[in-house]
Amino acid sequence: MVLAIGTLEHFMKRLAATAALAAVATATAACGTSETAASAGPGGVYTTIDGSKQIDATAPINPFNPQGSTFAGYDAMALAWPKNDLMDPNLFYPGLARSWTATPDQGEVVVHLQPNARWSDGRPVTSADIRTSIGLAYTQGGSAYTVNAGAAGAAADIKVVDAKTVKIVQGKNRSNAFLRNVLSTVVVPDHVFGPLLPAGFWATLTAARGTGPAAEKAKTEITGLSQKVITFSPPEDVSAGPFVLERVNPGAALLRKNAYFYDAARIVPGKVKVLNYTGNEQIWNYLVSGKLDSAPFTAVPAAVMKKIKQTPGNAIRKGYSPVAASMAFNQARKPYDNVHVRRALAYLIDRAQVTKIASPEAGTPSVTTTGIHGSSAQAWLGAGLGALDQYKVDPAKADQELRAAGMVKKGGQWAMPDGSPWKVQIHVPASFSDWVAAAKSVTSQLNDHGIDSSVVTSADYILYLDELAGGKFDIGFWLMALGPSPYNIFQRVYGPANGWSLLAGRLNHAAPGKDGNWMGGPETVGGVNPGELTNRLNLATPEEQKRIVGTLAKLTNEQLPVIQIYDYVNTQFVNTTRYTGWPAAGSEALRLPAGVWMQLGMIKKSGV
Amino acid sequence: MTLTTPLAGPPNMRATLRRNFWRGVARVMRRKPSRMAGVAIVCLFLLMAAVGPMLYPAHLPRDDNALYAAPSLAHPFGTDFEGTDVLALVVTGARYVILTGLATAVITVALGTALGLLAGFHRGRWDTALMRLTDLQLTIPGLPLLLVLSTVWKFNSPLEMGLVLGLLGWGGVARAVRSQTLSLRERGFIEAAKGLGLSTRHIIARELLPSMAPYIAMNVLIAVTGAIYAQVGLFFLGVLPFDSNNWGVMLNLAVFGGGALTSTAALPYLLAPLLAILLLTLGIVLIVDAMDEIFNPRLREE
Repeated sequence: MVLAIGTLEHFMKRLAATAALAAVATATAACGTSETAASAGPGGVYTTIDGSKQIDATAPINPFNPQGSTFAGYDAMALAWPKNDLMDPNLFYPGLARSWTATPDQGEVVVHLQPNARWSDGRPVTSADIRTSIGLAYTQGGSAYTVNAGAAGAAADIKVVDAKTVKIVQGKNRSNAFLRNVLSTVVVPDHVFGPLLPAGFWATLTAARGTGPAAEKAKTEITGLSQKVITFSPPEDVSAGPFVLERVNPGAALLRKNAYFYDAARIVPGKVKVLNYTGNEQIWNYLVSGKLDSAPFTAVPAAVMKKIKQTPGNAIRKGYSPVAASMAFNQARKPYDNVHVRRALAYLIDRAQVTKIASPEAGTPSVTTTGIHGSSAQAWLGAGLGALDQYKVDPAKADQELRAAGMVKKGGQWAMPDGSPWKVQIHVPASFSDWVAAAKSVTSQLNDHGIDSSVVTSADYILYLDELAGGKFDIGFWLMALGPSPYNIFQRVYGPANGWSLLAGRLNHAAPGKDGNWMGGPETVGGVNPGELTNRLNLATPEEQKRIVGTLAKLTNEQLPVIQIYDYVNTQFVNTTRYTGWPAAGSEALRLPAGVWMQLGMIKKSGV
Repeated sequence: MTLTTPLAGPPNMRATLRRNFWRGVARVMRRKPSRMAGVAIVCLFLLMAAVGPMLYPAHLPRDDNALYAAPSLAHPFGTDFEGTDVLALVVTGARYVILTGLATAVITVALGTALGLLAGFHRGRWDTALMRLTDLQLTIPGLPLLLVLSTVWKFNSPLEMGLVLGLLGWGGVARAVRSQTLSLRERGFIEAAKGLGLSTRHIIARELLPSMAPYIAMNVLIAVTGAIYAQVGLFFLGVLPFDSNNWGVMLNLAVFGGGALTSTAALPYLLAPLLAILLLTLGIVLIVDAMDEIFNPRLREE
């Protein structure tokens, strides 16, 4: 989840358009690497941007540093790369792991490394590197590598079977996200990063998994290493990926082909140039000028998209993006505690119009509210999807629902049951321009229907989340449907934001307004505990998962803790002038970095 | 800076002086038509602020099928992302901008003048204390402070915005007024007033202040332009709350949401608030030019 949400935040940052210094950065990006085309050889220079972060030339060459000068898929390698499947979170393309096996309950995962994998300094990639990488991941916490006792899906033991085989054993609180989390492990060289782990680290880790004062001390020791690991700055890049960092400046990072890469013959470009950006507008300008060979998802206004398409060679690849934008209610506040009010609002919002205004190129109006992205809802729910209320625009039904909630209409304006004014405030972070436009469109539609509505913005996303978690908002925009894992999908609606959280392996429900429970929904609805069901998704078999997803989707559709507005579409950009062989629209590889496409042998030189 | 004759004497003499003053104003305005244009522009914006929102319904109409429409007779500056007339947004948004500008100017000038006069006239410990306070104010970085404040304060009212901008902007005026006061207090008419035993209050309010009125008046206008730039800039950066007809918000949405710097579709949406800011600033600058001549006898003689 940490990875998923972290990636999501980067994704949203790029949705955000907050740059005021774009021109300066463009100027710096344009200079500095002009000699590279000649030195890149026949493969040429592949130009792109990193979708997950902007370049910080002063950051260390360290993948544990959020700003680190390493680039996933190019010089930062994971054990495997997740496929963009609609339902199955456990499908991967090989990375440094050539293959893997997992027991049915994912209690044990055995990883077999690429036999020819080598670091860019010529040393072989071995199980010791994996073990060290896992040890370092423990200092950062989260996903499979956490020292919190009883956390679901945590690794309990790491065994080096041989030089190229590692076995990772899951702790007793099982999660079916374990394989995914293990295979997402970023691998660093033991001979560079190994000294960061103090002598006796593994004994301390074992002690930290227990309980009592000694375990707490051990936990503190491990998490205390976090800063040391993040700030570690190796003198040069030692990569097991297809490229290795040559140099980085504030405008761009330049990577050269790694001759020791295990599949070097598949890698066509001689160099990769990763351009920096400070906002979406800069990426648009790169695309309009045809500079980029490919670019990951970037929110683009319709007029700019038209201009990008006019550039020779530019093409668009669209695919499944497991994210949706929704309006979430704080049900601890009146009148949003009343399901009729929530339904009335759903009947008044023209989702197609909102999508046309807010995200015409990277969104599709949600068919209805299920909690699941529209593309995967059909796969999960089948015929059940058609049986759900579509909440098509219907002012008459909205009026009925409002009356059923006791709301009164005075002088053409809807008011609270006691006659006091009803002012709907929809909160969004100011830097998410598509959400701002969407919220404005929603308020305009509600105002048309006599509901006094306005948009309120928070200065930035971090502050927004903080205020949201503090229960300060009645209604706020919310990201949801984070597939493909069904647990990840529904924990956005029935997870910590709605009161349910796992502590020491036990699911607890916090009262509304406490411990981050800002959604404030009821613990049970008609005898169903949605948080408990969501948690079960972690352990359930595929058949059981489908049943639970059906129940939760129906409950979400009826109760509307959120109103799903639009489902994102992964819109990527490629340019066929210099290279070809891009993943097709809807490809399972589409959301991966272009470096992974190269590893898979997709990218070829144009005209060859 | 030059001095005007202190307004004193019998009522009929004061009335004559006032008549002569306004005749002088009319003469100065007529001399350059651009100055009349400046007055007309500022009057237009004041009118927009006063009655603009009354010309349109509370919720501006939208055309769902004309998003980012090109300029036409119906929409001289096109439409925004929601199909709302951009001209209507500019007109209805003028009130917040003008009110903020005026509130900022009043606070900046009132505080700056009061503290500058007190410090310059009293000198000694008053001067030291007030000028250290002024130095402190001048060292406060305005933009970072506003960015931090915006996380806890939503600035929904233009007066709140004006108050903060005013409190951040009086230091320069205080320093300049103090310098003027230090110079004026050594002049003969002030010495004479002191010799006559007039009260400090009388000397400051009736002798010093009128002499500095032109300077203060010009500062009011300059503070208005400064406040407009500051608030529009903050809204443009997206750190202040959303209001679709705020000029800064319009600029933000045109650039970041509409791609106005990359394609032409949202360009009118960007240009309309820019043009409004430019016109308003131009109007103020032209009036300041006129005021300079009105209050500066040397310029009047040329």
